[in-house]
Amino acid sequence: MSGYRIHRPGERINRQKPVSFQFDNVQYKAFSGDTLASALLANGVRLIGRSFKYGRPRGIVGFGAEEPNALIQLETGAHTVPDLKATQVELYQGLLAGSTTGYPSLDFDLKGLLGKFGRFMPPGFYYKTFMEPVKAWPVYEKYIRKAAGYGHAPVLPDPESYDHLHHHIDVLVVGGGAAGLWAATLAGRAGLKTLLVDEQAEMGGWLLTERRSRIDGLSGMDWVSQRLAELASLPNVSVLPRTTAFALHDLNLVQAVELLQDHLPLTERNAALPRQRLHKIRAHQVILASGAIERPLVFGYNDVPGVMTAAAGHSYLNRYGVAVGREVLVQTQNDAAYEAALDLAQCGVKVMLADARQGGAAAWRQQALKSAGVELLLGHGIAKVLGDKSVSGAQLVKLDGRNNQVVGSGPRLSVDTVLSSGGLTSTVHLFCHNGGRPVWNQQQLSFVCPDEGRDNIACVGAITGRWELSEALGQTHAAVAALLLGHGRGSSGNAPSVASEEVAAPRAIFRLPDGKPEGHGAKAFVDYQNDVAAADIHTAIRENYRSIEHVKRYTALGFGTDQGKLSNINGFAIAAEALGKPIAEVGTTTYRPSYTPVTFGALAGPHVGETFDVRRYTAMHASHDARKAEYEVVGQWLRPWYFPKPGEDLHAAVNRECLATRNSVGVMDASTLGKIDVKGPDAREFLNRIYSNAWSKLDPGKCRYGLMLDENGMVMDDGVTACLADDHFHMTTTTGGAARVYSWLERWHQTEWPELKVRFTTTTDHWATVAVVGPDSRQVLQKLCTDIDFDKDAFKFMDGRSGTVAGLPARVFRISFSGELAYEINVDANYGRYMWEEVMKAGAAFNITPYGTETMHVLRAEKGFIIVGQDTDGSMSPNDLAMSWAVGMKKPFSFLGKRSLLRSHTAGDGRKQLVGLLPLDPKVVLAEGAQILSNTDDTVPAAMQGHVTSSYHSAFLGRSIAMAVLKDGSKREGDTVFVWAHGKSVPAQVVSSVFVDKEGVRQHA
Amino acid sequence: MPKQGFQPFMESPLHHFKLDAEAQARRADGRIWCNELPHLGYAVLRGDTAEAGFAQLVQQVTGLALPLQAGAVSQGPQGVLMWTSPDEWLLVSHRQRLADWTAQLDGGFAAQQLFAQTVDSSGGLTLAWLGGTEHITVLRHLGVYDFESIPLGHMVSTVLGKATVQVIRLDGDGVFVLFRRSFADYVWRLLRRAAQPYGFAVCQLEARGDHPLFAQLAAPRPSLILA
Repeated sequence: MSGYRIHRPGERINRQKPVSFQFDNVQYKAFSGDTLASALLANGVRLIGRSFKYGRPRGIVGFGAEEPNALIQLETGAHTVPDLKATQVELYQGLLAGSTTGYPSLDFDLKGLLGKFGRFMPPGFYYKTFMEPVKAWPVYEKYIRKAAGYGHAPVLPDPESYDHLHHHIDVLVVGGGAAGLWAATLAGRAGLKTLLVDEQAEMGGWLLTERRSRIDGLSGMDWVSQRLAELASLPNVSVLPRTTAFALHDLNLVQAVELLQDHLPLTERNAALPRQRLHKIRAHQVILASGAIERPLVFGYNDVPGVMTAAAGHSYLNRYGVAVGREVLVQTQNDAAYEAALDLAQCGVKVMLADARQGGAAAWRQQALKSAGVELLLGHGIAKVLGDKSVSGAQLVKLDGRNNQVVGSGPRLSVDTVLSSGGLTSTVHLFCHNGGRPVWNQQQLSFVCPDEGRDNIACVGAITGRWELSEALGQTHAAVAALLLGHGRGSSGNAPSVASEEVAAPRAIFRLPDGKPEGHGAKAFVDYQNDVAAADIHTAIRENYRSIEHVKRYTALGFGTDQGKLSNINGFAIAAEALGKPIAEVGTTTYRPSYTPVTFGALAGPHVGETFDVRRYTAMHASHDARKAEYEVVGQWLRPWYFPKPGEDLHAAVNRECLATRNSVGVMDASTLGKIDVKGPDAREFLNRIYSNAWSKLDPGKCRYGLMLDENGMVMDDGVTACLADDHFHMTTTTGGAARVYSWLERWHQTEWPELKVRFTTTTDHWATVAVVGPDSRQVLQKLCTDIDFDKDAFKFMDGRSGTVAGLPARVFRISFSGELAYEINVDANYGRYMWEEVMKAGAAFNITPYGTETMHVLRAEKGFIIVGQDTDGSMSPNDLAMSWAVGMKKPFSFLGKRSLLRSHTAGDGRKQLVGLLPLDPKVVLAEGAQILSNTDDTVPAAMQGHVTSSYHSAFLGRSIAMAVLKDGSKREGDTVFVWAHGKSVPAQVVSSVFVDKEGVRQHA
Repeated sequence: MPKQGFQPFMESPLHHFKLDAEAQARRADGRIWCNELPHLGYAVLRGDTAEAGFAQLVQQVTGLALPLQAGAVSQGPQGVLMWTSPDEWLLVSHRQRLADWTAQLDGGFAAQQLFAQTVDSSGGLTLAWLGGTEHITVLRHLGVYDFESIPLGHMVSTVLGKATVQVIRLDGDGVFVLFRRSFADYVWRLLRRAAQPYGFAVCQLEARGDHPLFAQLAAPRPSLILA
């Protein structure tokens, strides 16, 4: 038989509120306040899953975050959540859950058959077995992957939301047990801004289970209520239940996830509230009161469903009113498990207790157990558990008093449940996340946090190895009082009063011997989730893994969703024994975040969907929408890509836009280009240094194209800068480079040339820019503006004017990225859409055609104009781009990159240089990024000659064109090269990269 | 011949949300109340406080004392002047007044040969007012700065989500969030999303006669401040 309900005073379930739920398609009943685990146990369900490697039947072992086995799939469809621990799932009406393992069914599992041969599946089994033949690995992998793993990730979008919340506080207390509550009380009373978090739905920690202790004359839970009432009355204190602090980073940044709605039925969740909230807490002082977790002992077949920790059996009884069995064997090596035995016995459960210690617990405990009718077996250990899918009994052996050896046979007991306690393990994870190391405490048999904590991190209660409540509260009081005194917060009064009790020392035993050499007896599991047995650790050591980190990786000890909370110390101890070293010397593996699994949703928080990333819009966006633009994202900006008319695809639209622009007039939103106001008496000198070309003689009203080089002489950005006044310039940058260039200017000014009187202000967002492009553009501008003379000789190519356009003050620059007669109108962006629409109206007579970035790319490629980042890659100098005309080597002061341009490598032969390519078949558009080969019969590995950087169909030329970087390209005009892509070579001729209007007649028109 | 009778219209960075249409009179109902203060005038002011005459000229023209403490904000019935870096301030006022001020300032800087300047940024920035009991909590959902610690009369430059903003606390009645035009859609959506747990509402803009920012909202004429 297995679990059943039993009334317990102080139980945490609400019997007035029954709930029904489903597990593996079977309907069950339970109560509000249950966890899924307690509800399943109450309904007699023991088999929850199959083990990872051997497919062995597994049941619930723990009652919280430490649970290794009961990984379940919660809900279905978009709401499904994989691999939750049933011990942490709060039950709600209508909850749907299922097991995550077992094929074809949980009851009959194919992997279970394989597990019968477990002896032949040592650590590294898969590495060792599936080495040959190499080609077969994909086949092996398919089946190994199918056999591995637990739940399945949702495939539908998550319908729930998540958010983040930042805290700046004085004190963060992690853990709402007795120590944490007292620490928060003291900090709160001292007036400090305090936050207390605990992963459980209710504060109280172990006091939720343990009912005998009295604190300040009150029962444990009454004292908890008193504390919570006091904390609630303090405006400087916040208390967050269901909140797991899962990571501690440098400078006391703690991340904690709060489960705001997971405990509610799906239909009752408030859509306005997040399901979970990620708290990012920056605390001057962190107080870790995260307690301890009971670990089991390691013995033969200790994984049969019905074997669990004593703390779990105790908690299910007292918190949820569930007796986990009718005939229970408690196996221990310490005093604490006697409490579980006593409470169970007092509830009418038949209890036997085997203690590995010859002398057993403190006399008063032994007497209490005997009085309750518990049979005590001192100096005994379990050799193996009997049963397959459920415990049916246990075979005991007599243990030697000093050495962990078997000295005789013991009784064979008929029981339906085995509870074991191997002592407590301090929950040191957070202390260790950013480099802290725990210390081994041989008296308490645990790695614990040092009493002194670390700078601004205090450790209180069981985390320091104080298992007894009186000691834990005493140490907490002393530590927090000292801390407050250090902060000038005065006296903290007295510690809570708790009677101390006599306790017998635990026995240093982790693996209960069965009298056989390791590996020859029943499998004794250390890590349930990864199917790591004691023998596997011995095998790893025999195969010469000496570091515990290597043992972990070879055996998988301590991996998985439970992160070894039950298994680590047992594993370290068994490794220590095999290595013949003390445990302290073996040490621990590295504790890393997260303490427990955190959903991606919580980590992403609000940064999903429409707020996933910044989308930058220009002032004319609504106009583009109205004209059905298709968009592309450029440096976070949403730019019109092309404007399809009904029935047009990208190519048809771009061909039309290109021809309209070359033959009459096109219009483009150029607002996204970076714009920087450069002003000051030394502005020119600054530009001389930051650009490769000369700026000393640029008159007001003139514009100049400039190349910006990095220290290596490579092109990092380009753009046109206009001289507005002798000391005032309007600089433009590439769309994606704006922020980088602005920082670049500030960096050089602030760090190297602070003596130059010049200042920079970003004006990218201030100006909305409409580019009017094409032979008819002048006429369009003339319809909009009377106070600028647009005559070709009065307003020349690369001139800039201020004037009134469509009634607004505007800066107009006659610059061109297309090789056409073109003007860019800049106005205050609040008028951007107005200006766009006025241009459209004025251009209507010329069939003005809006175009997007794709047409812009074709038009500029026809002219051989580069796009930094597309035709350059950080290794292109101006010379490589045939742009030495934009380098002023004779400038009196050096400029950034000048020295590098003279380096032998930069100036030498063999560099890739920008060229044009004309495919011999004019219909073939080369693939961008395709590699260039010298010969058609080159075979792998071939010498790469370069690659195609830009490639388009030019409607204006009626053929394909491309730009490429080619080794020594400047000397190879007329050569035929071979462009390799998609498995074949395409011949192309090397030509000048200027395909249209080499003389520049059009842009000077 | 050019077409005459142009009728320029302005659209603020949050124009497309049509906030006016959903604006309600603000009330204390626990919700987050928010709206854009459209079409204000903004200018970046640069100067050297060590240069004699700079601070005096700024105060003389704007009536606002040049704030010298990091993050400090000078405020008056005609606008605000915010410290943004040791040689940089942001001036916010009614558009037309700002145009007048910048013209006077630049003229004064030139006359006194000061290394100082103004740069019009009116098209590139906007302000949102965010109020309601939990308005600071909304900011805490989005940014790492300790927003509760911002003293009245101060501002901070920080990041909400992935956008740079300035958060300005004037009188304790809500905060003003300043951001760039191109980021406005993102910032608004982010604020709206973060406010969801408390309820989010668009409030009517109050024409408070002597408020340093609300008083600057009167419908401006097309700006004439561009050189």
